[in-house]
Amino acid sequence: MHPFIVIENLQYVYPLESGEQIVALRDVNLSIERGEFVALIGPNGSGKSTLARHLNALLIPTGGTVWVDGLRTSDPHNVWAVRRKVGMVFQNPDNQLVATTVEEDVAFGPENMGVPAEEIRQRVDEALAIVGLEAYRQYPPQMLSGGQKQLVAIAGALATRPSCLVLDEPTSMLDPVGRRQVLNTIQRLNAEEGITILLITHSMSEAASAQRVLIMNAGTIVMDKPPAEVFAHGAKLQALGLSLPPIVDIAHRLRAEGLPLPPTVLTLQDLVKALCTSA
Amino acid sequence: MHIRVENLTHIYNQGTPLERTALHEVNLEIEAGERIGLVGPTGSGKSTLVQHLAGLLQPTTGRVLLAGTPIHSKGATARSLRLQVGLAFQYPEDQIFEQSVFREVAFGPRNLGLDETEVKARVHWALEMVGLDPARIGPRMPFTLSGGERRRVALASILAMRPRVLILDEPTAGQDPQGRRALWEKVGQWQQETGMTLIIVSHALEELARLVERVIALRAGRVVADGPTREVLSDARLLRDIGLDVPEPVALLQALRQAGKDVRTDRLLPAEAAAEIASAWGLRRAGA
Ligand SMILES: Nc1ncnc2c1ncn2[C@@H]1O[C@H](COP(=O)(O)OP(=O)(O)O)[C@@H](O)[C@H]1O
Ligand SMILES: Nc1ncnc2c1ncn2[C@@H]1O[C@H](COP(=O)(O)OP(=O)(O)O)[C@@H](O)[C@H]1O
Ligand SMILES: [Mg+2]
Ligand SMILES: [Mg+2]
Repeated sequence: MHPFIVIENLQYVYPLESGEQIVALRDVNLSIERGEFVALIGPNGSGKSTLARHLNALLIPTGGTVWVDGLRTSDPHNVWAVRRKVGMVFQNPDNQLVATTVEEDVAFGPENMGVPAEEIRQRVDEALAIVGLEAYRQYPPQMLSGGQKQLVAIAGALATRPSCLVLDEPTSMLDPVGRRQVLNTIQRLNAEEGITILLITHSMSEAASAQRVLIMNAGTIVMDKPPAEVFAHGAKLQALGLSLPPIVDIAHRLRAEGLPLPPTVLTLQDLVKALCTSA
Repeated sequence: MHIRVENLTHIYNQGTPLERTALHEVNLEIEAGERIGLVGPTGSGKSTLVQHLAGLLQPTTGRVLLAGTPIHSKGATARSLRLQVGLAFQYPEDQIFEQSVFREVAFGPRNLGLDETEVKARVHWALEMVGLDPARIGPRMPFTLSGGERRRVALASILAMRPRVLILDEPTAGQDPQGRRALWEKVGQWQQETGMTLIIVSHALEELARLVERVIALRAGRVVADGPTREVLSDARLLRDIGLDVPEPVALLQALRQAGKDVRTDRLLPAEAAAEIASAWGLRRAGA
């Protein structure tokens, strides 16, 4: 079977009012299998959001091709099918919620797709159950915390029954409790519902929880490896303006002091275990 | 500029079903030139408090004094004191109005009545402070910028006012690590040169650990901790209690302590934690 997402030689150019052009993506080649959990990191302006918007046909390539589940996004007939397959969640929870209650908000997507009322109710129930917000169905979204609002946005995306969720910095405006809620939910969607995940983040600790980490720089993908291997390239990451997760940073420093630690140390538990067996 | 907060209570939508007490009898003294971090979970009142420090809200009860003058007094003194407090909002959308980045950042300095040469110099300086290229980004329409860029424009427009008290409400949310580092380096350096007061609302405890000397923690509208950065940010029980993450270096050291290792746990930064572990593991002389 073909990979879920295939991108070949993708280029995207934004036209500016001034007649100038901004080449936001160039030579992007990428494939993502069904059920993968992929993190996308990179400096501001490197093209992460532009790439994300290609995955549900919000943007159409100015060069190259994007296939989603075998559908070419540049074919106008495919746009709605692609949007059903790939749900998007954005950074600012306040800009995404449109309705006056949580359940209406979650119902918005399937309503737009013309899903029958009975089925909408069922999908809303299911989506709210998955994110753990059943108790809040009648609440106005403004009464929820930032983390809860993001969970509503995720439920809204789930109600269209996508095979893939693209989340563009979904935790960057949240407090630590909200971040944990959202990240745990994303992990569960991937592990239990088999949903393919592309998570854009500036948090190296969040990236470390993915199976695969992509690094973008200046419009193209410059690294594509499992997290342990990505974070082994400490100097290269720093040159790209990225940082190491604190635990990995500490492990690097201890190795530099001559402490033999396995290269696979990623989490606090890994490091405690390695340290307690080394002395 | 000395700031005093006296019994400040703020109730939103008082007398309606949506009534919310955002601040409850808050008392604070902030000396000129202090560098302060303000932490607490969403909804704890941080943004409400800093808007009071900038004189943008009317207290339900209590008051705020700038250099001994009540912030809402009528007259030129209070007005000029208020103008010396610059607050960069949590949501830059609340703050950006103009048609180009240049005009947006120039708005405040023009309002101060500065001449155009000075206005231009300030706009360039402020955009460079936040890591934006004035020539490239100055003419852009703010709404075509990325969220991270818009946030920095909002910050530049506050910096361009050269405030004596600079308040940043979650300034680095959505910024990449290098952008954050560069921003803190420049703001930190400018703070040292000018001796301005710096108040930063943030969940990024590691950044606060590098930058501020005092941390104030809010929970449900009350001050629940106020002390030296190292003390407050290594107090794992307090942090968990108010729903904040313990900095990872502290969490690591605590896990090691629990495993019977003799390490100090008040090491907030990766380098400090690594040095602590190295010395406990006999890799270096203690304190080296
Ligand atoms: N609507 C737009 N119009 C013009 N340029 C844009 C627009 N959106 C993004 N860009 C530019 O495209 C480049 C990539 O931006 P973006 O994809 O938002 O990066 P990231 O998400 O990695 O921060 C940047 O140079 C940005 O300024
Ligand atoms: N404009 C407003 N109207 C009504 N309630 C508000 C408003 N702004 C904030 N609140 C409420 O006041 C409390 C404190 O909010 P805020 O100061 O924004 O906290 P923080 O910045 O710590 O997240 C919260 O319960 C919030 O819902
Ligand atoms: Mg982006
Ligand atoms: Mg706030």
